[in-house]
Parts: sequence; C-alpha cells; structure tokens
Amino acid sequence: MKSVARILLAALIVLMLQMTLAHRIAPAGSAPDLVLVMLAVLVIDRRPLAGVVAGFLLGLLQDLGNASLLGMNALAKSIVGYGIARCGGEYLPDSKMFRGLLVLAAALVNDIIVIAVGTSLGPAQAIVVFLRDSILAGVYTSALAVLVMQIVKIIPGRAVRAGGRY
Amino acid sequence: MQIFSFLFERHLEKTVLAAAVGLSVVMLTRGEDSKVAAARAVSSFLFYPSERAGRYFDSLERLQEENRALRRLVVSLSHEKELLHQFRDERNRLRELLGFRRDEFYEFLPCEVIGRSASRYHNSITVDRGVDAGVRPGMPVVGYRGLVGRVTQVFPASSRVLLLSNKASSVSCLDKRSRVVGMLTWERDNLFRLEYVGREEDIQSGDTLVTSGLGRAFPKGLAVGIVYKVTDEKTELSRRVGVVSMTDLNRLEEVFIITGGRDWESGEVWLELQKIDAAARGGEEGG
Repeated sequence: MKSVARILLAALIVLMLQMTLAHRIAPAGSAPDLVLVMLAVLVIDRRPLAGVVAGFLLGLLQDLGNASLLGMNALAKSIVGYGIARCGGEYLPDSKMFRGLLVLAAALVNDIIVIAVGTSLGPAQAIVVFLRDSILAGVYTSALAVLVMQIVKIIPGRAVRAGGRY
Repeated sequence: MQIFSFLFERHLEKTVLAAAVGLSVVMLTRGEDSKVAAARAVSSFLFYPSERAGRYFDSLERLQEENRALRRLVVSLSHEKELLHQFRDERNRLRELLGFRRDEFYEFLPCEVIGRSASRYHNSITVDRGVDAGVRPGMPVVGYRGLVGRVTQVFPASSRVLLLSNKASSVSCLDKRSRVVGMLTWERDNLFRLEYVGREEDIQSGDTLVTSGLGRAFPKGLAVGIVYKVTDEKTELSRRVGVVSMTDLNRLEEVFIITGGRDWESGEVWLELQKIDAAARGGEEGG
C-alpha cells in the first residue's frame, strides 16, 4: 500500500514536471516524454501484467490534461508498458545499450499511436511529423530513462528478485 | 469455465492488455462532452498544484517580456525627456526675452472620491482632501486623462468638486490642432457641445480640445475632450460641434487637485526626476 502511494505521488510529480518543465528542456522543440521515462523505470524489471496496468494508469493520468483525447495515452502507454515489461528482463537485462534501445523503440511506438489516434494528419504529413519530432524526442527520452535507471539502481534498499523480476 | 481458465490463468497478461486497449478505445470513442466532464472532475482535483505552478512560470515569462519592453520604453523616453528639457530651456529663455511669465509645472494633490451628488443635473463629487491639505475653492481638478472640474466648497478634511458635467459649468476651450476657441457646455452623460464656433472655422472630428486659459478659470493646456461630430446647420451661423470628455465623469475614483505650480528653474522638479532615475537604476542593478 505504501509503495502504491509512493508511485502515485511520483506519478503526479512527473506529470507536473511534464506539464511545466519538459518543454523548457526541449532541444530543437523535441520535449522528452517524462511519463514514458517513469513507466520504463517502473516496469522494465517487472511482469508484463504490471507493465499493462502501470501503463494504462499513467496514460490515463496523462490524458486528464487533454480531455478531448481521453484514452489516447492510456492506449499507447498500456501497449508500450506491456512491451517494455515483456522484453526488459528477457534479453540482456544488464545491458544499458539494450535498455536504451528498448525505451527508444517504446517511445517511437508511443508516438506512432499518438499521431495515428490524436491527429488528423494525412500519411505523408504524419511521416514528416514523426521523422521531424519523434526520433529526436525518443532519443532524448531513452537517454533520460537509462540515466534514471542507473540512478535508481544505486539507491540502497531496492529489493530485486532473482531473475531480474521483483 | 474453460474460457475463463484460458483467459485468466493461461493468458492473464494478454487478457489484461486486451482489456486495457478495449477500455482505451471505448474512452476514445465516447462523446466529447462526457469525456471532458469526466476528465475535468478528476483533473481539477489531481492537477491543481501543477496548474498553479504552470501559471506561475507563465506569469514569470510574461513579466520578463514586459520588463524588457519597459526597459526599451525607458531608453526611448529618456532621450525624449532630454530633448524636451532642451526645448523647455530654450522656450523659457525666449519667453524671458519677450517679457512673458515663466512656464510652470503643476503640483498635483492626489485625492480619492468619497461621495457623489444625488442630483442627476448638478453633478458633483466629494473628495477626501480639504483645507488642511491646502485645497482652496476654484482649484482645477483633473483625472488621469484630462480635466474633471473645479473645487467649489472646501471643508477641513474634504472638498466638493463641481464636475464639467454640470449645467453651471462652462469651460473656454481651444482646438489643439487649429487653435479655434469655443465654449464647452454639457449636454448629457459624457457628451458636450462646443459653442460659438463659426461656420468657417477649421474644426474636425478627432481634434483634441484643451483648456484655453482665457479668463484664468483653468490653466492653459489641460486636455478636456475629443471632437466626435461636426455638423453645419442651414439656419445657423455657427457649427454644431459634439465633444466627448477625455475622462469618464461617471466613473471617477481618484482625481488630482492642481494646488499650484512650480517654477521650471527651481531645481525641485529636476531633483525629483533625478531621484526617480536613481531609484530606477538601483532597481536595475539590484535585479
């Protein structure tokens, strides 16, 4: 119960940062997706079930900021959360490069879903928007995620179960 | 039972994923109004601190931008002020050569309006400064934008001001552009008529009227109103000139009584300006 409250508090702080700070630290206008960073950090060593639930709830929280697209981020983040949790502990669990690439792929998938659902762009325009914004933002997000994962790893008292799952 | 076992025991993760996706799609396909209502209820509770923080950062940005614009304005006004000082000195030298009285700065006494007359046709206000503050009957009263009226009665701590919007008030005015002189009388609300303007006189809508200083009832050059209508009557020798007052006389909250003038050369004004400059510079350095 305590850990759920802590995660909820952390999620609210991350959302606050996403709304107030993310666009200020955006190189070339590509802001990092801090919610995705949190999701990746939360679920990379957990079971896919936790990934789906955490992704859905975090996405839903994010959707509350833009009610007209309620469900869009919930959809994207639950799929991405499942993917991160499914692949995170399975292959190369200690490789930073693999984790970075995994989060990059997750960010790109997330953006594809968001562009497909949340915009009325034609295919050509959607591809341009994706190439222009999503790749740089994805790289930024994945770099941040790896950094945060490393920081979390060195925090004392973090229980890790055998096999990378806890 | 076999289906439940298949869904929730063997493929629990995929079932939950499908449920999450299905739920998201249902939310996405719901009507705009119900989505907004649901989200607003939750987000107003959850995101209140972040919205406050966001608004704070946004206001900081706006203030910085405003500060930059004001700094630009200060630079421009400083140059303009310097030029005006040169013109002022030159003008005073010339006036002195011609034997005219020196120009003066007005001394403004800020007052708050504490009462209004009940009568619709004898518009007057009561302000919170009186004899104790040096107010005397006959002193002109101005608002932020122009002339308001004159002091008619004074008491120890208050004064009554007869507004321009009064049948008993009439002000000699001058067209700032063409220097045509006329007498301003009240019609209704904030609307006035400029009388005694001949058919051949050059007066146009949009012209600004200032006090003429004739009769010494009001000092010369105080803004009074703007001409909004000029019509020629076939049977009359004069033009009908409609004027709207600079100040909204129905919504006065603060006014200034002109209690006197200060000599240009006394140094007092210059010292005050220097104090303001020094304070502004101190603020910039501190910031």
